[in-house]
Order: sequence, then structure tokens, then C-alpha cells
Amino acid sequence: MRIELTEYQVSLTGLHARNEKTIQATQDWERSRINEAALKACFDKDCDSLVELQRRVGAEYVTDGQLTLAWQDLFRPISSGFEGLEPGPMVRWFNTNTFFYTPIVKGAISSDGKVLSRAIEKRFVNHGSALKIILPDPLTFSELAEDRFYGSKEKLLFAYTDAIRGELRTLSRVGVKYVQFSAPSLVYRLKQKPFSRAGLKQLGEALRNALKGVSLRSGYYPFFGDASPYLPELLDIIPTDDVGFDLTQTDDSSLSATSKGVIAGIVDSRTTYLEDVASLASRVEGVADRTGTKTLTLAPSADLRFIPRVSADEKLELLGRLRSRVRRGRDAHGPSAPARRGAK
Amino acid sequence: MKAFPTQEIGSLPKFSWRTKPFRQMALTDDDLEAARRWGDLLQVDGRNDLHRLLSKRYAFTDEEKKRIVDFSLLYAIRMCETAGRGLAKEPGLDLVWSGEQARTEMYETPVSNIAGFEFVGRVRSFDNKYWRMASIRSAPKYKENYHLDELLFTKENAERKVKVPVTDAITIMAWSDNNYYTGKWADKAGLQPSKRSFNARREFTLELAKIIRRVIRELIEQGVEEVQIDIPAATQYQSEDDIKLVAESFNETTKGLDATFSVHSCFPPSVGYGILFPHLLEMKKCERFSLEYGNRDTFERGLDPKSRVGFEDLKLFKEYGYKRQLGVGVIHIHTDTLPSVEVVRDRVLYSAKVTDLPPENLYVNPDCGLRTRRPEIAQKMLDLVVGGAELARRKSG
Repeated sequence: MRIELTEYQVSLTGLHARNEKTIQATQDWERSRINEAALKACFDKDCDSLVELQRRVGAEYVTDGQLTLAWQDLFRPISSGFEGLEPGPMVRWFNTNTFFYTPIVKGAISSDGKVLSRAIEKRFVNHGSALKIILPDPLTFSELAEDRFYGSKEKLLFAYTDAIRGELRTLSRVGVKYVQFSAPSLVYRLKQKPFSRAGLKQLGEALRNALKGVSLRSGYYPFFGDASPYLPELLDIIPTDDVGFDLTQTDDSSLSATSKGVIAGIVDSRTTYLEDVASLASRVEGVADRTGTKTLTLAPSADLRFIPRVSADEKLELLGRLRSRVRRGRDAHGPSAPARRGAK
Repeated sequence: MKAFPTQEIGSLPKFSWRTKPFRQMALTDDDLEAARRWGDLLQVDGRNDLHRLLSKRYAFTDEEKKRIVDFSLLYAIRMCETAGRGLAKEPGLDLVWSGEQARTEMYETPVSNIAGFEFVGRVRSFDNKYWRMASIRSAPKYKENYHLDELLFTKENAERKVKVPVTDAITIMAWSDNNYYTGKWADKAGLQPSKRSFNARREFTLELAKIIRRVIRELIEQGVEEVQIDIPAATQYQSEDDIKLVAESFNETTKGLDATFSVHSCFPPSVGYGILFPHLLEMKKCERFSLEYGNRDTFERGLDPKSRVGFEDLKLFKEYGYKRQLGVGVIHIHTDTLPSVEVVRDRVLYSAKVTDLPPENLYVNPDCGLRTRRPEIAQKMLDLVVGGAELARRKSG
């Protein structure tokens, strides 16, 4: 039996909050009080400080926060930059007080493969940390887009992932190291039944299509809902390296053993209330035990743009403290009985 | 009763001469010119007094600032009461308000006047639009009535019937950081994580509802007849329990009160307003639902489902046998691109067609408050509401 200790990492899982200076700058820019260069300088400083904070808390993969105008919503660079798509009516983003422009599918979806690389802050590539990009997963795209062209969810799923594949290859070439597919539509079902196993398999195929020939580490992160109806199949069907769970919605007891990395959305991104580190650590250790994962990424439950920047940063710092604590616990005691890491 | 009566939804844009004195910014010639031009256009009584007052340009006293706000209320009332001039034979909205000119905005004003909140920073709603989020740090408590002065002023100065918009408990809860109640429920053992957060939301909401009920009761005591309960967040939390809570909160807020109540909501998730049914209909005292539809519609003329795709959700009301009033949003308020008056007419007629409601039960309004538009655009939007309703009236005989 091979025994390995869980490696605890920290990562953001969504768009981050802009800081107050940037907020003011965007409003001043809209009212023509400052020019585009001044606005860009604000965004740059804001991104710098966020990347610096992620480094300080020890994030292995850092994001640029996707703070800029290119990322007004998670779909925007795609709905504005891909052929065949355009932003349509404004619609509420799940159960938040934030809104997005519905991607309207008007023709065959394609891109020049450089849309997303133009939307990220490439200066962070290879500057001591690995850059991560967060994108809508194919299911969320197909569920929220208004399809006026393909006439079938399946065709839409694969058209989207065909276009995304070219983008991911470019991102990989420019030095991005990680892609996370954000997948709220998978678990935010409310009155609808969970997707069928066949639907999940199709999703798995679509993701495989997106990742074909792409040399990025990948994660699949469903949030805003309970993933338990999909467990344990989800872990086998989704082809990404990591799979995550919104643990503000999913009960820990539903998790099961996996050889994948696990993203644990354990810090509530919807409130400034700072959770007790000891309680969180106890839950994290429980998750590590249940899943037997080698890599457990401690994360906010969703985007931290739902609370003001100061609080969002405090949540990130909390994740850093949490990681230190569980690492100390692990190093002091080793794997708890039953010995679990890679026990298969 | 009149067919297709018209109403505003709440806010109107603030003129720069209204906002700058509060930001310690000096007024420019353009600001003064706007006050003069709009005052003439709207025929506002005492506009020359405003001009003299604004000529000071900066360092306004508190008393002077109050007079400036009063004038902005007057301008807004006149904007509502003259809407449609040039387009309609009978200009003016049937139900009016003073454009929330006395409020910071619909969220900030109540949370600034209810004890227990602290502002923690701005959060992005969409694009470069943000709201100042308040965090609840202790149980909320009534401090003072934050709408009384504006109600009294508006009632005294409006010639049309007044409808006062009041932000509801669900919205204040949903737009606030629920720090206090999250902490209170964090350690309750044996509950699913999602149940804990729901319980925190419910307790917070129902505490707020009691405070808002008191605010409304005091407004009713001052003679207000119609109250619009603003619940833009009605479709935010969408679980069965949360939708039930929307109705519970409304019923708790209006319990024991005697007035005409309507509800406004807008911008639902992609599944539409269906998420609210059937619990929406459990709001016992709600006479009218005023909802946004123009946002999702086309700019083509026509009474066919394809041209009027944005209004498909209205069928739900018929399916559930709804017989009371509806307010249909016929103007998308987040763009300066305007439909033609004929398209607005068709939106109104199509709404009547799919709901089977008598025209006098179908109010016409913009999708939402117009505070994000420039005054020129807001005025045109209100003109279209009045003009489109009048054309629909003629067409329907």
C-alpha cells in the first residue's frame, strides 16, 4: 500500500471584486473624466495587488482576477469576440444581484483562437506563478445561451468546445497553465431534475473535445448548488484533472474517493462573515479523508466579486491561514487512520 | 375606468444641479442652463427661484440643499405629469411619483435609516454599475421614517394620483451582506449547509419586514392610497423555500395595513418569471404585478409571438387564472436605443391578447426605474409609455 499526504493548495474560483479606486476609475471613464490610459493604469495596479496577494497566500495558480472591461461578465469576451455570437438581453446571474448579457447564437461559432489570450493579463505569465484562466463550462454556455442557429443542445455544446479548443491551445502557447470550467448550470437545478447520466456523459465528451491536444491542467467547478445527485459518477465522467464542489451547498458526507484533485469551495463567497478557521480545518480534513485526494485546493465557494474587495481579499487571506493550519496538522500527525492517500 | 392606464416605476435620473451640491462640486453654466431649459419645458412653478438659488454655484447651506432637492422633486413630478406631450392627446402618467429624487437610491436610503447596518464597500452589479453594499452586523431596528418628507411634498405638489415606491425586505436582505445572521446560524448542528443559509436569510428578511411595515403604516396615516412594494430581488434566490419567503415577506409587510398594494420586480434569471409561480399569487393584498418585459423583446412591429418574444412569459398569468391587474414593462431601461411608438403600442396590445385581461387592468410602464438614463432619454421613454398606451387604446376601441 502506497501512502501519500494530501497536498493542500489555494486558488480563486471566479471573477474577483474590483477595488474602490478601480470602481471609481470605471465610473470616471464612463463620464469621460479620465482617459483610457488612466483607466488601464488603474486596472493594472488592481491586478498587480491581487496577484501579489495570491502569491502571499501561496496560491499555486494565480488569476488576474478577470477584473477588466473584457470580463464584464464571464461570457463577455466570448459573446463579444467569437464569430456567430453576440451579447443579448441582460439576465440575472443565478441567485445573485449581478447580471450578464445572454450570448445569442446567430451563426456558426468560431474564433481566431486569440480572443481569450487578448483578454488576459499576459504580463503575469511565468512571473513566479502559473496563470489560471476561468471560463464558462460547455453546459453552462449551452444552457444560458439563446440558440438561434444550431437547434440542438448537443450541436451547441460541441460547437462551443470546438472554438474553445483553439483558444486553449493559444493560451497554453502563451504560458497559461490552468483552465477552470465554471459550471453553475450543472448543479443549480431547483425545480428541474438533475441531468441524466447520458447528459453527463455528453458533457464529459464535450469537455474532452475542448481539451484535446491542450497541455493545460484543468478543473471543473460546479457551484451555486448541491453536487451530491451526481456523485460519485461525476468524478469518473468529467475528464478534467480536478473536480470541485461548492461546500456551502453540498454536504461533505456525499463526497467519495477519487484519484482526481479536488477543489473544495469551502469559504462562503457570498458573505463577509469570516468563518472560524478551526471549524473549516476540521471540515477540510474530513474532505481529505473521504476523497483520499492527492491535491485538495482550498477555494472560495464561487466568485469573490459578490462582496466588496476588502472583504474578498480577507476571504483569500482566510484561505491562506486555513492552508497553513491543515498543512501543520498533516505534517504533525501524518495521514489519519484509515491511511488513505492513493490507497487504491 | 380608463383602458391601459400608465405609471412610472420609481426612479428618474437626477440632474447635475441636484447631485453636484452634495458632492461639493461647483455648478457650471451647463448645469444652470439645464435647470432653466428643463424648468421651462416642464413649466415648473418657481423655476426662477431655483435659478437664482443655483447661481450661487457652490458652498450651499443645508437649507439651500434641501430647497434644491425639493425642486428636483418638482421637476420629476412634472416630468411624469407631462409625459407624452407631442405624442399623445392626453399627456401625463396616471400614477406618478417624484422620481426618488430625495433618496440616494432605493437600497441605500432604507439601509442608511435602519439601525444595524454598516456600509462595507461597492459591489459590481453589471458592467460598470455598482451598489454600495451594507452589512447587517446586529438585529435591524427602526430608526426613523425615511420616506415621510418626500411623500408629504409629493402629495402636496402632484396633480395626479400618487403611488409611493417602497423597497421591500427581500431586496434589502438580498442586496446586503448577511453577516450577522450567517454567524448566528453557522454553528447550528445537524442542518444541511444550504438550509443554514436559508434560515439566515429568512430570519433577516422577516425582521426587516416588520420595520418596513411600520414605515408604510406611517405613510398610510398621512393619506397615501397606493404603495408599490419594490422587489427587484424577488427572482434572486430561487429555491422553493425562497420563493415562498418572497410571498411570506410581502404578507408580513402588508399585514394589517389598508391601502392599494402593487409589486414591482424585474430582470429574472433566464428561466423567466415562471420561477415565481404559483407562490407569487399567494401575496394576499397585491392588486398588481408590474414586471419588466421590454428588455427581451424585438424592435419589430407585430402582434405575433416572434415579434413579441419578450412578452411570452405573460402567458403564465393566464395559465394560473390570474384576474387582477398587471403592469407591463414596455421599455428596456438599460439602453438609449428606443422602440418606435408603434412597437410600444404592439407590446401593449399583445400583452392584452395573451393575458386576456380587460384593458383597464393592464397598466403600461417602463421596465424599471429610469435613474440610469440621461434626463433626455428618460423623458422620451415616459413619452413612449404614454404615447404607446394611447395608440393601443385607439386601436382596441
